[in-house]
Amino acid sequence: MAGFSNYFRFILKRERAVGLTWFVCMVAFEAGLASVFSGMFSDAESMRAMAFTMNTPAMVALMGPVYGLESLTPAIIMAQECLVWFFIAAAVMNIFFVVRHTRADEELGRHEMLRALPVGRLTGAASTLTGAFALNAAITLASALGLIALNADGATAAGAFAYALSIGAVGFLFAALTLLFAQLFSTPRGVSGAAFAVMGVFYVLRMSGDMNGNALSAVSPMGLGLKVQPFWLNGFAPVVILLTEAAVVAAAALAVCANRDLGGGIIPARKGKARASRFLRGEFGLAWRLSRGTIFAWSAGIFALGATYGAAAGTIDQFAAGNEMFSKMLASAGAASVADSYTAMVFAIGALLCSVPVINIAGKIRAEEKRGRLEQILAKSVPRERMFLSYIALAFVTSLATLALMAIGFYIAAGGMKPGALLTAAFEYLPALWLMLGLTVLLAGAVPKLAGLIWAVFAYAFAVFYFGKLLRLPELAAKLSPFGYIPQLPSQEFALVPLLVPALLAVAVCAAGVAGFGRRDVG
Amino acid sequence: MATFEIRSLVKRFGKFTALDGVNMSADAGEVHAFLGPNGAGKTTTIRCMLAILKATSGTVTLFGRDAWKDAVELHRRVAFVPGDVNLWGNLTGGEVIDLFLSMRRAGKPDKARYDKYVSLFDFDPGKKCRTYSKGNRQKVALVAALVSDAELFILDEPTSGLDPLMEKIFQDSVLELKQSGRTVLLSSHIMSEVEKLADTVSIIRGGKVVENGTMAELTSKARGKTLEELFLSEYEGAG
Ligand SMILES: Nc1ncnc2c1ncn2[C@@H]1O[C@H](COP(=O)(O)OP(=O)(O)OP(=O)(O)O)[C@@H](O)[C@H]1O
Ligand SMILES: [Mg+2]
Repeated sequence: MAGFSNYFRFILKRERAVGLTWFVCMVAFEAGLASVFSGMFSDAESMRAMAFTMNTPAMVALMGPVYGLESLTPAIIMAQECLVWFFIAAAVMNIFFVVRHTRADEELGRHEMLRALPVGRLTGAASTLTGAFALNAAITLASALGLIALNADGATAAGAFAYALSIGAVGFLFAALTLLFAQLFSTPRGVSGAAFAVMGVFYVLRMSGDMNGNALSAVSPMGLGLKVQPFWLNGFAPVVILLTEAAVVAAAALAVCANRDLGGGIIPARKGKARASRFLRGEFGLAWRLSRGTIFAWSAGIFALGATYGAAAGTIDQFAAGNEMFSKMLASAGAASVADSYTAMVFAIGALLCSVPVINIAGKIRAEEKRGRLEQILAKSVPRERMFLSYIALAFVTSLATLALMAIGFYIAAGGMKPGALLTAAFEYLPALWLMLGLTVLLAGAVPKLAGLIWAVFAYAFAVFYFGKLLRLPELAAKLSPFGYIPQLPSQEFALVPLLVPALLAVAVCAAGVAGFGRRDVG
Repeated sequence: MATFEIRSLVKRFGKFTALDGVNMSADAGEVHAFLGPNGAGKTTTIRCMLAILKATSGTVTLFGRDAWKDAVELHRRVAFVPGDVNLWGNLTGGEVIDLFLSMRRAGKPDKARYDKYVSLFDFDPGKKCRTYSKGNRQKVALVAALVSDAELFILDEPTSGLDPLMEKIFQDSVLELKQSGRTVLLSSHIMSEVEKLADTVSIIRGGKVVENGTMAELTSKARGKTLEELFLSEYEGAG
């Protein structure tokens, strides 16, 4: 293929920073977590206790089925806890990698420059695919060797390779899928949007398949990857199937690529209106236009998530019937409280996810500033506070809409639950979302250089929620999270004070952020 | 009364002093050229005039009123074109122009003016901004500014990326503004543009205005040198 080696070298050169960072992080976590997990359990009993909590419907829906109960090792528990997250991380890495080297390049015109060189039609796509393969292969090999070298409890050599290979195979399949979308859609946003949507669908299919124990989980590459059951079955067949699927998709992508124009897509970009509609007027119109995609997409996603978990709530009984350990737990704890703690847990996770669009929209003014668009707006007759408050108002509406849709989705799919109680349980998280909103406003408005810190707060809240009990963190660690004060309805009691405090705090930091924004330099 | 007046303007970014006592003003109906080497402080001055940056000290007034405190009111009478026009990829050029006009809050824009400038600049308002070339992005901001019936036009390298044909149309448009009594602040690196359009000139270097006066004064000062040579010596600091 003309110019392949030049092109491939060009990709490697451009990946020195980003690709290397992904490589280091992926390998460090894939291998490094093994030592965390092997130090976590003192005896077989504590591992069984851990497996108990993971064998609940909420956890199976989140992370996939539990296996290897007959002879648990820390490595098995690690795989159950972490594998699905590594699938997602690998998918994200591959989607960004392919978008970076295909559509994003074409849009910036870099691709044309390359094509002017003696380079074949397929060279770009083929080199990108090879680059993605090399990246995944390198991560797989290094992680497997790292796992073996760390010699963690239960991490056999075969298991280490099964573990790393399942992640690499799922990742590479996403590279191939994204390459196909890059031929169909003509903008980077369209491509990554389609790829992430497919990722969501795969996750939901896996969830539903794992809850009901049917074939849907094998249809989803993520579910298929989990069937490897590393450190236990070490089944390599799913890996082979995943790689075959990737090869077929990649071949399809290359076939489409050979037959299209540079810059064009099979699905054409829409031609726009020459005049603004009545709604695109003033600062609120602009804020709405820039946020509505985020609002609609997240609302739909959160609704689907609520519905998926709701549907699973209906099958808790079935789940218990087919699961000896869980039915014992159910009998000892009382059926009502198991269903309640399932709901409480689902809503806690859902509320954390709802804070993502809230943060995104509240902080949009900073993103606009960094892209150099805000100065043009402020050169018009636009009060700074009013521009900021437009985004804040939309973030506020988003907090209400997403939480409500989560509860409604759950209610519709679950059937037979009280809608009012579900809505209350969901809206309990409003003060936490508002506090996240307020902190975003404070950072973006008053200390813009630190605006990115809000994602550290988010990551902290997530980590405390997810690992807090697992790592037996002190109570104070949980209280430092904006979500830490919220009583988890319906399994815990309702209380007003823990809701009022974050709500009032949110108002205060929000006001400080807006005031700070009115006084500072922009740009 | 001067349309805009800047007195002893100082702007510091941390320890770095970007503007070190800038003085500059222009009256109604005047095209004031604002020249200086890269990094001299032209854009910073303009951002202080538009209340995008807050002055460290000194005064900036537009139409006799404080440019920071009364910014929202004053901007109804001001049009601005930045040198690097960043737009929203998923909005069309036409949508952006309408949006900008609506944000000026200066009444309904004149349909005839809109059509005139869209056709003069041979601009396709129905395309998404992400597909526009550099020159076409520049046209979005230019058309939005020219259509608005402002009294003060602040143009920061407005023609970067325009082809010679469009450059000519831009120059004609500025002359028209001048005839109808508008004030124009034109920051530019294009000497021919300045020679053709400017009535008065300020040259800034290292955050200080090192030269200002009318074009006629500068020409007599040039003593046989071309204006370009004069500017070059000012830029180098030898003049
Ligand atoms: N936000 C900022 N923080 C720190 N320094 C800045 C900032 N904005 C501008 N500067 C510095 O101030 C100086 C003046 O910059 P300015 O953009 O005003 O120059 P300019 O005259 O417009 O140059 P050019 O002709 O290249 O457009 C430069 O040295 C620049 O690096
Ligand atoms: Mg500049």
